[in-house]
Amino acid sequence: MENVIEIKGLTKEFKVLNRHEGIKGSFKDLFSRDYKIVKAVDDISMNVGQGEIVGYLGPNGAGKSTTIKMMTGVLEPSSGELIVNGRVPYKERKKNCEDIGVVFGQRSQLWWALPLVESFKLLKDIYQIPDKDYKDMLDIYGTMVDLDMLLHKPVRQMSLGQRTLSDILAAFLHNPKIVFLDEPTIGLDVSMKSKIRELILELNKKKNTTVILTTHDMGDVDALCRRIVIIDKGKKLYDNDIQHLRGFFGSYRTLKIRPKEEIKLAADELEKELKDLDIKVSISDDNEWINLLVNEDKIKVLDVLSKVQSLHDIRDMQLEEISTEEVIKKIYEGGI
Amino acid sequence: MNKKRGLGFYLKIYFKIIGQDIKSKMSYRSDFIISTLGMILTNVAGFVSFWIMFRNFPSINGWGYYEMLFLYGFSLIAITPVQCLFDNNWSLRMFVYSGDFIKYYFRPINLFFYFQSEVFDVKGLGQLAFGIGTLVYAWGKLGLAVNAVVLIKLILFLITASLFMIALQNAAAAACFWMENSYFILELAFKFKDYAKYPITIFNAVFKFIFTFMIPIAFIAYYPSMIILRPDEVGLLSLLSPVIGLIFFYGSYKLWMLGASRYNGTGS
Repeated sequence: MENVIEIKGLTKEFKVLNRHEGIKGSFKDLFSRDYKIVKAVDDISMNVGQGEIVGYLGPNGAGKSTTIKMMTGVLEPSSGELIVNGRVPYKERKKNCEDIGVVFGQRSQLWWALPLVESFKLLKDIYQIPDKDYKDMLDIYGTMVDLDMLLHKPVRQMSLGQRTLSDILAAFLHNPKIVFLDEPTIGLDVSMKSKIRELILELNKKKNTTVILTTHDMGDVDALCRRIVIIDKGKKLYDNDIQHLRGFFGSYRTLKIRPKEEIKLAADELEKELKDLDIKVSISDDNEWINLLVNEDKIKVLDVLSKVQSLHDIRDMQLEEISTEEVIKKIYEGGI
Repeated sequence: MNKKRGLGFYLKIYFKIIGQDIKSKMSYRSDFIISTLGMILTNVAGFVSFWIMFRNFPSINGWGYYEMLFLYGFSLIAITPVQCLFDNNWSLRMFVYSGDFIKYYFRPINLFFYFQSEVFDVKGLGQLAFGIGTLVYAWGKLGLAVNAVVLIKLILFLITASLFMIALQNAAAAACFWMENSYFILELAFKFKDYAKYPITIFNAVFKFIFTFMIPIAFIAYYPSMIILRPDEVGLLSLLSPVIGLIFFYGSYKLWMLGASRYNGTGS
């Protein structure tokens, strides 16, 4: 497999002023030369092959966007090597842009007031897409989404979902080798999310486009990525396929319990009662379940269940494999 | 595939993008009408105050009413390009502040071009008509010659004057790459253009120097229009103004691009 992205020891430093507090402090800042160096990206190395979908994950401020900004030629790396499609992006930004597509956050890159089809025509001219390729691409799009409905609608009148969909279509229009998607499903409803995931997967298959995806939505990761790279505080923590990651935590199960008592109260009690057993107690987002994260190397789930049952009345229970989200949370917290 | 992007390419793209922008502007009809009206009123008010002033002082430092009117018309035409074609500079600060500026990096075309091409301000055309009217009127009253050579000179030096105005605005707009509250700089630069319509000789030596070499507003009307207005008194600066204009424009473009290369964007 040919590498489309090669990164070696990539580092990006920012100079940040040490700010002082209060009015007196801000006056001091005016003349201060007291800078500290913050490494937004710290010695990252990786290669990405043609056609891969890589989930690039990390908590807010981990350095994901900074890495992508370097790969797209917006930022100049402080040190290290970065080759995209055989070029140094910062030095050849315009050429680099020929072969990449970008959907960055929720910022639409389409012409706001124009119907989508006009934006497409402008892009066709800007990227000098041959008529035939352009037509073929629209035909492919036609099989994937309800294109007619989108094409003649001004972008400003679109719903967030339609706009994201349009932005993704626009990013693939010139058949780039790599597409960068920065949180493409943020703020979308469930059905739109799955629609967009399907679209990305299909375009990746049809065109063998490499996709670099940053997201906080584990649904995106589960649906799209075979490989994930996790960074935190600028450093790479993990780079492997997703099964391998699950393997790390294979022995964990989540035991979900719905108690008869008030849920908060029960959770607090359980936390005390299970303190010695190395079990993490938390309450689910919908406030319906108490989640007990059990390491089966240490104690059997059934033993935990019987212990809980002996202390509390349980209305309902479920057993779950650990989700990718929890795995990643675990890594963020320094699990590996 | 070898994709060449020369002047022809950029012109084609430019007219397409601008065409789309005008189309979309027309779609906000009341906005369009009100802003056009505002522009006309601004110009009329400017003209009236100019007229009142000259009823009281028939000449300033040897400059007669019609000569001043000529300068006035000349400067109005000269600031039309910056108003029509570079209006997006006014929004640059907001784009940079909000982080939306990043989208301009993702196309395989010149960043400055892409940014400026997005907006065409139609209102400037009203001002152009007003400027042409004023210039033609003053021209007739002064009894200046009309022939091909003079017209070519006029166009060349109008372009020169525009270059200075564009350069001034580019540099002022680019300030936002270095500082957060740069709006006042842009405002200031725009206010300075009001002095452009006066002959530089009415200022004292200090301001003469400043308005020639530092904030080159004297080039927006005075130096270039001397070529046509007083061909016998043309100085070196007037003759060189096209070259100086190009240098200033190029310098401001470089400054703008340097600012853009410093841009980090905000997180998303």
